[in-house]
Amino acid sequence: MHTITLPARCDRSTTIALFPELNDAADDADVLLIDASKVEQLGQLMLQALAAASRCDGGIEITASSGPFDEAVRLAKLDKMLGISGAAQ
Amino acid sequence: MNAEDIQQIFFVECEESLEAAEAGLDELKAGTHDDETINAIFRAVHSIKGGAGAFGYVAMQGFTHTFETLLADVREGAVAAGSDLVDLFLLALDCLRDHVDAAQSGGDAPDDAALIDQLTQAQAVNAKPEPSDAAQEEEAGADQAGNTSTADQDLDALLDELMAGGDTPKAAGTADKDGKEPAGWTVQIRPHAGAMINGNEPLLWLRELTELGGECQECHLTELPALDEMNVEEGYLSWTFLMPADAEHAAVADIFDFAGDNCTVTYGEQGATNTAATDTATAAPEPIPTPVETTDTKAAAAPKAAPPSEAKSAEVPAKAEATPPTKPAAEAPVRKQTQAQVNQSVRVDLGKLDKLIDGVGELVIAQAMLTQRLANESLAHIEELSMLDTLVRDIQEHAMAFRAQPISSVFSRVPRLLRELAGTTGKHVKLEISGETTELDKTVIERLSEPLTHLIRNAIDHGVEGAEERKEAGKDPEGTLSLSAEQKAGRILIRIGDDGRGIDREKLRNKAIANGVVDPDTQMSDEDVYNLVFAPGLSTAQSVSNISGRGVGMDVVRQNVKELGGRITIESCPGTGTTFTLALPLTLAISDGMIVQVGEESLVIPLAHVVESLRPIDADLKGMGSGRQLLNVRGQFVPIVPLRKIAGSCRVADNPSTGVLVVVETESHGCAALLVDAITDQRQFVIKSLDTHYRTVDSVAGATILGNGRVALIVDVDHLVQSEATSAASALHPPTPSQTAAEAELAKVA
Repeated sequence: MHTITLPARCDRSTTIALFPELNDAADDADVLLIDASKVEQLGQLMLQALAAASRCDGGIEITASSGPFDEAVRLAKLDKMLGISGAAQ
Repeated sequence: MNAEDIQQIFFVECEESLEAAEAGLDELKAGTHDDETINAIFRAVHSIKGGAGAFGYVAMQGFTHTFETLLADVREGAVAAGSDLVDLFLLALDCLRDHVDAAQSGGDAPDDAALIDQLTQAQAVNAKPEPSDAAQEEEAGADQAGNTSTADQDLDALLDELMAGGDTPKAAGTADKDGKEPAGWTVQIRPHAGAMINGNEPLLWLRELTELGGECQECHLTELPALDEMNVEEGYLSWTFLMPADAEHAAVADIFDFAGDNCTVTYGEQGATNTAATDTATAAPEPIPTPVETTDTKAAAAPKAAPPSEAKSAEVPAKAEATPPTKPAAEAPVRKQTQAQVNQSVRVDLGKLDKLIDGVGELVIAQAMLTQRLANESLAHIEELSMLDTLVRDIQEHAMAFRAQPISSVFSRVPRLLRELAGTTGKHVKLEISGETTELDKTVIERLSEPLTHLIRNAIDHGVEGAEERKEAGKDPEGTLSLSAEQKAGRILIRIGDDGRGIDREKLRNKAIANGVVDPDTQMSDEDVYNLVFAPGLSTAQSVSNISGRGVGMDVVRQNVKELGGRITIESCPGTGTTFTLALPLTLAISDGMIVQVGEESLVIPLAHVVESLRPIDADLKGMGSGRQLLNVRGQFVPIVPLRKIAGSCRVADNPSTGVLVVVETESHGCAALLVDAITDQRQFVIKSLDTHYRTVDSVAGATILGNGRVALIVDVDHLVQSEATSAASALHPPTPSQTAAEAELAKVA
């Protein structure tokens, strides 16, 4: 299984840089593991890339996540889709 | 446009927001407590908060959040805006200005911890007020009523239906008969690719909506393509938020101020579809109509029914009663409309504007040359030339208007200065402002701030007495500082007056003598003595403070004003106060002038000074001795001032009866009659600085290029008449040899 570790700053430029790897990895039938434990800042582009990746065959699994990551995902109402536990804000 | 450009726009808007908030708080302090005033303050602070968040100014964002939270309570009626609270808001605004300044200069954010504590405490205290007697009675009444509340609500609902004709849908924000929370309204946002660049981040907008009480109902994924079909830079998500009924549409719209066309924002009622969508983020949403007429001014002014705030205000009836009466509700929509009209503006880079002004200047010169050329061909009166003249004048006036700004942008900073000075000197001073809409050139406005600040500091520190001293003198313990601006004789006059002790003439003179600035035998008029205030290193202050008193500032003030082409004069009356008058040019670029011939030279007299021109008869002339003459103008004698000194020509008419007299008005020396050989033309002229291209010349305000391509000097009428008056006085009282050095010093000062 492939694991992608997201950097602290998941802004526009990071998403553009990571997108090819994410696209390739999500092509596999296996679930793609995402380590979001170091994320301090998450933008819409990364969020929608993760949401699209979760719709791929293998889907994605967030193996670890930071508080800011969880908060951003809940804020965008994508917590259920990305499997983030806890009440949505 | 890059991120830096957008950031600059943010700072410009911060400045506008700070001014708007200051103006609103001034209105609050003056007793205006209408919804629109409070909303305007809230919007201004909220707008800064939004930008601060977008650009990562965390400290500023945190501070504004606390600030606006308390403002929101005032807006909702939960907290009454008493004078203490308004003072706290003013302090908070000062701190916010410091935050903006720090962000702009790249410096450290101010220490706002104590102020945040105060704001938080004010909110906490007001959130749980001690119930007043009236409130307790109401509460007791409600308790006694027991289960009747549901019945009352049913009755209210029935009345609502009856008054609305029975078929009007219930407005958002109105509690239903089960007592549920108001339905609210929805906002749908759809960020596009541009919303993710230049420092924008849509998730910050979502956070802002949440902070306004919004709840994300749904993230729409319908446009999200498969991962391998995605354009990674495009936005595909959209969200629907349910906003509480009492959330302001304007506050929501403010969030998307910086989004432009990069985000589609759609407003609707709960459950409404997207049919009423608008494609611009800043499009003003339609207010949800209030279904039931009410005599409650606050409810009527609000764009929606607001039962929750009524409930809150009932919790603090004592404070609500203390609130001064509100302005008529009908004014609110009118003011909103006016504000919307005023805000129709476009930002233009100042450099581009300056190029336009330069171009217009060259156009004026080219037109003058064309006129001259046509005149040589006996075609000076053709219709086309007249049309061109009108058009050039229109263009020039409009172009100059671009650079004009109201002086209120400078005056609006004075309240803060007075608050700071009150803290350091203990002197509380009332501020009286008039003429704040007077417009000045932008450059003048920008460079006026420093001298004005210094004069005000001086006035408070040395002019206005302490409360005890004022009481003893039979004055109001609170001093008064008056600021005024007006247009007069082609110049802008700005007056800074205090009602303090006035300048001690003898003390100032003695100090000047002790410092060797003037000779003890020198005869000095009051004006001469007061002008010593501007001599370097001279101060009569008893003590040097960190505000003023070293005598190193006033000479700089005078120099600053002079560099602007202006002049500063003083009037003072012992025990009554002192007034400094700054006379500044309306514009630094183009003006109207009378072209006169003096010997072989052409000179320009600014038309704003000209009263009339005449050829005198001998009976109207009166000699004064020392070769000086006066002109009798309908019973009033005015001095005749020959322009030969400026023209530097010997072949000049010395006899007024053979030349032409141009009667001019000055700002401080009354009228005078300028003796010239002939008047040759009257037209616009482009002012070119002599300081820049040559050097400063006494009694010359600058130079211009005439239609024949020759350079003509522009007469500084005020300086010329003043220097003639001074030399006339000296002629009547010849100086002793020892006075020479002192006069030289005075000449610098005057």
